[in-house]
Amino acid sequence: MLDTIVSLLKESGVYAWEISDVKTTGWEFYFIRHALDQNRVRKVEHITVKVYQLLSDGAWLGSASGEIAPTASAEEARALIEGLAYRATLVKNKPYTLHKPHPAEAAETKPIDAAAIARDFVETMRDLPETAGEDINSYEIFVAEKRRHFLNSEGIDLEESYPDSMIEVVVNARRDGHEIELYRMFPSGTCDAEGLRRDLLRTMRYGKDRLAARPTPALGKADVLFTGRDSVSLYEFFADRLGAAMVYRKMSDWKLGEPIAADFRGDRPGLTALRELPNSSKNRRYDAEGAPIRDTVLLDAGVAKNYLGGRMFSSYLGLNEAFLPTNFAVSGGSAEEAELRQGPYLEVVDFSDFQVDSMTGDLFGEIRLAYWHDGDTVRPVSGGSLSGSMLELMEDMRFTGASVQYNNWRVPAATRLKGVTVSGIE
Amino acid sequence: MKAPFSAYLNGLRGGLKELIALLRQDYDYVSVLATDSKGLAVRISQRSRSVSSETMTTERGVVVRVCRDGQYSEYALNNYDQAHPAAAAEEIRAALERQAALLRQTGTESFKTPVLADEPWELFVEKETEQLPETTDVKALVETLTAISDQAMTLGVDMLDCQTSAQSTHICKMFLSEHRDLRQSYVYSEGTVVAIVSREGRTQFGYEGLSGLCGPELFARLPEKAAASVAQAEELLDAGRIEPGEYEIITSPEVSGLIAHEAFGHGVEMDMFVKNRALGREYIGKRVGSDLVTMHEGALCAEDVTSYAFDDEGTPAGDVIEIEKGILKTGICDALSALRLGIAPTGNGKRENFEHKVYTRMTNTLFDSGEDSLEDMIASIKQGYLLEGMESGMEDPKHWGIQCIIKLGREIVDGKLSGKVVAPIIMTGYVPDLLGNVSMRSKDRQVFGTGGCGKGYKEWVKVSDGGPYLKTKARLG
Repeated sequence: MLDTIVSLLKESGVYAWEISDVKTTGWEFYFIRHALDQNRVRKVEHITVKVYQLLSDGAWLGSASGEIAPTASAEEARALIEGLAYRATLVKNKPYTLHKPHPAEAAETKPIDAAAIARDFVETMRDLPETAGEDINSYEIFVAEKRRHFLNSEGIDLEESYPDSMIEVVVNARRDGHEIELYRMFPSGTCDAEGLRRDLLRTMRYGKDRLAARPTPALGKADVLFTGRDSVSLYEFFADRLGAAMVYRKMSDWKLGEPIAADFRGDRPGLTALRELPNSSKNRRYDAEGAPIRDTVLLDAGVAKNYLGGRMFSSYLGLNEAFLPTNFAVSGGSAEEAELRQGPYLEVVDFSDFQVDSMTGDLFGEIRLAYWHDGDTVRPVSGGSLSGSMLELMEDMRFTGASVQYNNWRVPAATRLKGVTVSGIE
Repeated sequence: MKAPFSAYLNGLRGGLKELIALLRQDYDYVSVLATDSKGLAVRISQRSRSVSSETMTTERGVVVRVCRDGQYSEYALNNYDQAHPAAAAEEIRAALERQAALLRQTGTESFKTPVLADEPWELFVEKETEQLPETTDVKALVETLTAISDQAMTLGVDMLDCQTSAQSTHICKMFLSEHRDLRQSYVYSEGTVVAIVSREGRTQFGYEGLSGLCGPELFARLPEKAAASVAQAEELLDAGRIEPGEYEIITSPEVSGLIAHEAFGHGVEMDMFVKNRALGREYIGKRVGSDLVTMHEGALCAEDVTSYAFDDEGTPAGDVIEIEKGILKTGICDALSALRLGIAPTGNGKRENFEHKVYTRMTNTLFDSGEDSLEDMIASIKQGYLLEGMESGMEDPKHWGIQCIIKLGREIVDGKLSGKVVAPIIMTGYVPDLLGNVSMRSKDRQVFGTGGCGKGYKEWVKVSDGGPYLKTKARLG
C-alpha cells in the first residue's frame, strides 16, 4: 500500500509530501479487582499523508493532510490525494522546506514481546500486598508494539519500533464504612515492576491518610511542596513556553540568550531534551517530521538556550536544527529535600486535576490530599484549592538536585513554590 | 438532504455477516461494529492555516466482540478483507487464544457475565443535513474563517491573534450480530473563535463556540461569535483575583452544563456501579438536590454532536431522567454493565473509536429550565458572582467532590452587577450541597457541544451538556 501511495504522490505533481505509517499490535486487559473483565487485541495501521503546494510563485506554501485507509484501493487513494492536493492550494502559509535525510544514524526496528510485557504487568498487580483497609479496585493494562515508517519527498525513509505501555489503577481505602478512591495512570515503555509497586504502595498509604484528613485550613498564602507526578505539570510549563509555535505566535515572550524571569530569588531551572530516558515510552531517534532527536539544552540556569518545535514554526524563527523532543530532564536544583521541608508548608500529593496554563501562567487544582506541616506537627488535609501564576511563582521556586523519573520526564524529587493562594474549607 | 450511508460499509456487510456466522461456531455471542466516518477540519489564524480530513471522530475500522463461557473479548482491526472472512475468523481466534493462554498461565480468574440479548432488530437511519464535510466548498469555508479572524483583529486594541476553527464529521456506523442489522449516518459540526490578547506581558484568551447535529452549513453562524470572544478576552486582561470563599452564584447555561456533566453525569455512569466506584449507587431514590433540580441524559434529549440512533453496542438511543425534582432516579448504562447489574441498558455504550473498549458514557446531559428571569436572579443576590465560560472539570464519583475551572466571574453587589470581573475561578464543593442549594432557574436553556469528555484521563468522546441559568451557592477560589 505504501509503495502505491508514494507512486501516486510522485505522479500527483504536488510540491512536497510526507507519509507517516504506524502499525500497532496492542494487547489490553481490563480487571475488576483481580478478575478479568475483558481482554482485547488491536491490530491496526494508520497511514497519514500530508501534501504541500507552492503558491503564487513561491510566495506561499499550502498544505492539507488526511488518512488513507490500509484497505483503500488505488483509485480511492488517488482520489484522496487529488483532494488533498486541491485543498492544499486553499491555505496560504509562509513557505518553508521539509527536513532532509540525516546520514548520521539509521533508525532501527527490533522485535517487542507484548505478551511478556503484559505478563509482567499482570503478575506485578496480582502480587501487590493489599490489606482490609487499602486495596485495588480495578486496573486496565495496555501494551503495544508500535512500528513507525516515515517518508518524505526530500528522501527521508526511516523505520523504528518501540514499546508503548500504560496501566491505569484505581486504589480504594476504607474505614468505618466510608470508602474513597485514588486514581493513578502510569505510562511507560515496558513494565517497571519495582517502580509500579513502589508507587502503588505509596498510593495506598495516601488513601489511608485521606480517610483521616481534616478540612484544609484557609491558609491565604502558603508555601506548597510538590513531591509527586504533578511536578511534571510545573515543568511542562517551561517546555511549552520554549515551543517555537508559542514564540512565533507571540504567546511566549521568552527570548534566546535571555533569562526567562526578571529576578530569580530561588533556583534557576535548567531543561534538557533527551533522546532516551530509561524505559520511557517516548524514546525515539527521529521526531514526527523526520528530524533527528538529539540531547539538547533548552534552558540553562534560567536562560533560554534553544527553542523546540516542528519544522514550520522553527523555520519561521530561522532555526534549522530544532526538532520536536519527546523526553525531558530538569536540572539546576540546589536544595536537599530536608531543606525544602523547613518551616510551614503544604505538601499536596493528590489533586482532582492539577493544571498549569502555559499561555496565561495560571495554575490551579482542587486538593484531594495534602499534608499541612505547620512547623511543629503534620496532619493530612483535604478539600479547597490552590491557585497562582507560574510566571510569578517561578521566581522564588526552590527544587532539589535529586530527581525522579515519570515516564518521559525526569524532574526534581521535590519542588517548593512560595506564596501560593490556598483556599481552604476549614 | 439525507446524509448518505457509507458505500464502503455496505460493501463490507455481507462479508462481516459471514464472519459472524463463522465465529458463532466457537463463541456464545458475536457482534461487529464497523465504522467509516469522514471529516473536515479547517483552522485559520493570523499566523498559520491548515486543512485536514481528520477530526476527533474520523475513523474506519472494525471491532469484533465475542463471548465464551462468560468471558468477553474483542479484536479491533482496520484491514478486514471481506473476500476472506474465514482467514479473518482464524486470525481472531488465534490472537484471542494467545491471550487466553497467558491468562491461564498467570492463574487469572474471569469476571463472568451472561450472554448479551440479541433480539431481532433492523434499522437504517440517514439523518438530515444541508451539506456534507466530504463535498462542502472548502475554499468558501477558508475565506469565511479568514474573514472572521481578520475582523476580530480590528475589534480589540490588545489583539494578538484570532484562531478560528471549523470541524464537521459525517458519522457512519454499522452494528451487526446474528440477529441485528443496524446502520446509521448523520453529520455533526462544531466551530470556535478564540481571541488572544496581550498587554504588558499578560496574555489571555476569549472563547466562543457553536455546535449542532448538522453539516458545515452551521459555520454561517460563526461570524457572530467573534465580537463576544474578543470582548471576553479583553475583560480577562483587566480581571482581578477573587477573594476565596463561599458565595451565592449564578451559573450561565455553559457553566450549568459543566456542573451537570461533572456532578451527576459521571457520578451515575453505571459501569462505575459495577466496580463499586460511585456513591450514586447507594442514593437511588434519595434526595441529591433541591426540588428545582431535574436532569436528563441521552442521545434523544437534544440534537447536538452525539445524537445518534443506536450506541456502539447496538442499543437504541434513550432519554433518561436521572434526577427528578431533586431525587436521584437512575443512572445510565452500557449493555455489559446492565447485564451485570440486572437492568436494561440505556443506549450509553460508547467507544472513543473502533479501537477502544466500550464504557458507559454521556451523550447530552442537561438541566431542565425553570420560570425565573436572569434579572430577578441577579436582583436576589446581596454579594456574589455570575459565572461565565467553562474551561474544564473533574469529578470524584466516590466522594462527590467536584472541581470546575471557570473563565470569569462578574461581581454582584446588592442585586446588581458591579462591573468588576474576576478570573480565573476554581469552583469546588460537595455535589449534594451544590445541587441542594439551587434556588432559582431561568426559563431559557442552551446546549453546548464543542467539548470532549474523558473517562479518567483517556477515552475521549464527544458530549454535549447545558441547562438554564441556575442560582446556588459554591466555594470559589
